[in-house]
Amino acid sequence: MDKATIEVLARRAGLAKALAEFPEDVAAAAKQAADVMAKIKQPTDPAAEPWPPMRAGDGL
Amino acid sequence: MRDGPLTELPWLGVVEAAQAIAAKDLSPVDLMKSLLERIAALDPRLNAFIRLDAEPAMQAAKAAETEAMAGRLRGPLHGVPVGIKDIIDVAGLPTTGHSKILQDNLATADAVCVQKLRGAGAIVLGKLSTHEFAIGGPSFDLPWPPARNPWNTDHHPGGSSSGSGSGVAAGLFPMALGSDTGGSVRNPASCCGIVGLKPTYGLVSRRGVFPLSFTLDHIGPMTRTVADNALMLEVIAGHDPLDPGSAATRNGHYAAGLERSVRDLRVGFIRHFHEIDVAAEPEVTAALEHVARTLQMEGAELRDVKLPTLGEFGAVNRVILQSEAWAIHGPWLRERPGDYGQLARRRLMAGAFFAAGDYVQAQRRRLEMIAEVEEALREHDVLLCASSMDPPCRIDRPADIERTYPRQARTPFNVTGHPALAMMAGLSVDGLPLSVQFVGRYFDEATLFQVARAWEQAAGTDKKRPPIV
Repeated sequence: MDKATIEVLARRAGLAKALAEFPEDVAAAAKQAADVMAKIKQPTDPAAEPWPPMRAGDGL
Repeated sequence: MRDGPLTELPWLGVVEAAQAIAAKDLSPVDLMKSLLERIAALDPRLNAFIRLDAEPAMQAAKAAETEAMAGRLRGPLHGVPVGIKDIIDVAGLPTTGHSKILQDNLATADAVCVQKLRGAGAIVLGKLSTHEFAIGGPSFDLPWPPARNPWNTDHHPGGSSSGSGSGVAAGLFPMALGSDTGGSVRNPASCCGIVGLKPTYGLVSRRGVFPLSFTLDHIGPMTRTVADNALMLEVIAGHDPLDPGSAATRNGHYAAGLERSVRDLRVGFIRHFHEIDVAAEPEVTAALEHVARTLQMEGAELRDVKLPTLGEFGAVNRVILQSEAWAIHGPWLRERPGDYGQLARRRLMAGAFFAAGDYVQAQRRRLEMIAEVEEALREHDVLLCASSMDPPCRIDRPADIERTYPRQARTPFNVTGHPALAMMAGLSVDGLPLSVQFVGRYFDEATLFQVARAWEQAAGTDKKRPPIV
């Protein structure tokens, strides 16, 4: 992600103050986010559900 | 009442102390005195506490003694002290999250897990160090210093429940509460050589605990022995209709089958986690093989298991965690970014850079991953794998912290919600704890404890104490 894109996204997220005071931290945060999505396989089944996001077992 | 030096009392376990108090063989006041003396001597080096609540704890110990002598026991933890991670509410004390942001955030009620501990007779000793908001640490730019490892105070105790791990291992208290969103109970358990359980998602109420990630957060017990852990879980588990993530399930009797043999249990060994996905230090690999051989010698049937890679599990965990955490921290990060430490600021701001579709895709992939782990657990009673890929590194070397932080196999089971227990697998040549992790079926913590107890008994891990005095 290039610097201009990071700045646009950060401002859109309301992080103007962080961008002014901690530009390296904002850049590091953006890099973390960009890197991580590339590691996830996209489900091949278009009907694969995201819901419920978490419900362990069947309970009682 | 028990005679003998107060210096031995800090090493009493939860079960042992509770039984001795119930039998009128141990004074809760003597136990509390011995712990407060040890805390005064060691905590300036360990920083396990953010806030020690000594006077109220001693008053509670006196009340517990009066009740015990009259034969009135509040419950199975009567008179036993407990430490509470400082993202968990204790009425009348601040819940700071180890952060300037919440420095004056006074809790008006106990979290449900604390209510349950107190209802069982436990005595709250104080609030414990954590990585900032359970994500940013170890950090030296916060209002309180980070906790240190009692096996070597130059080393990291793991996190984020760092004060919980450090204090339990050092004999400052016999049990503590931690929270685990990406491994934060099991990491300090691994680094400090104690027993840490992340229960099944929804088994322990999260109400009154400051959230990090709604669908990944778990509250778990941290103790020096497996039996202590099982007892603590019995107390804190149970359905809470006011926690939307709470499972509609009964409490289990987790300690009942502890001494059962593991003969014929089917154990799946996830070797690729530490052999291929993230190559572990040779000492860690050797320790894991030793655990596997020991369980085989005890009669368990061992087979290799393959799951998605650690890299992908970690990525799914990260997208979900940081997206959900951004929803919580966004307003503060916009207005008060300088009031966070740098590590938390960087990790929490990452959530601002995911798209809504990224979060949904991660949740869709999560359900597929859950199905794969469920499949493995249809054919196996328990899974065995690494917890940390390295012994704990030095706390004052940011590059080492950064390198070892993702070298772990704990996040998969936050993603899937299966119960997972980390404990000591041995000691490194430098005398630092090595770790192993056991993973079970949903709500089958009892079998996890059974296998963990078999290993503990065979290896004597519950007898090992850090050298700090």
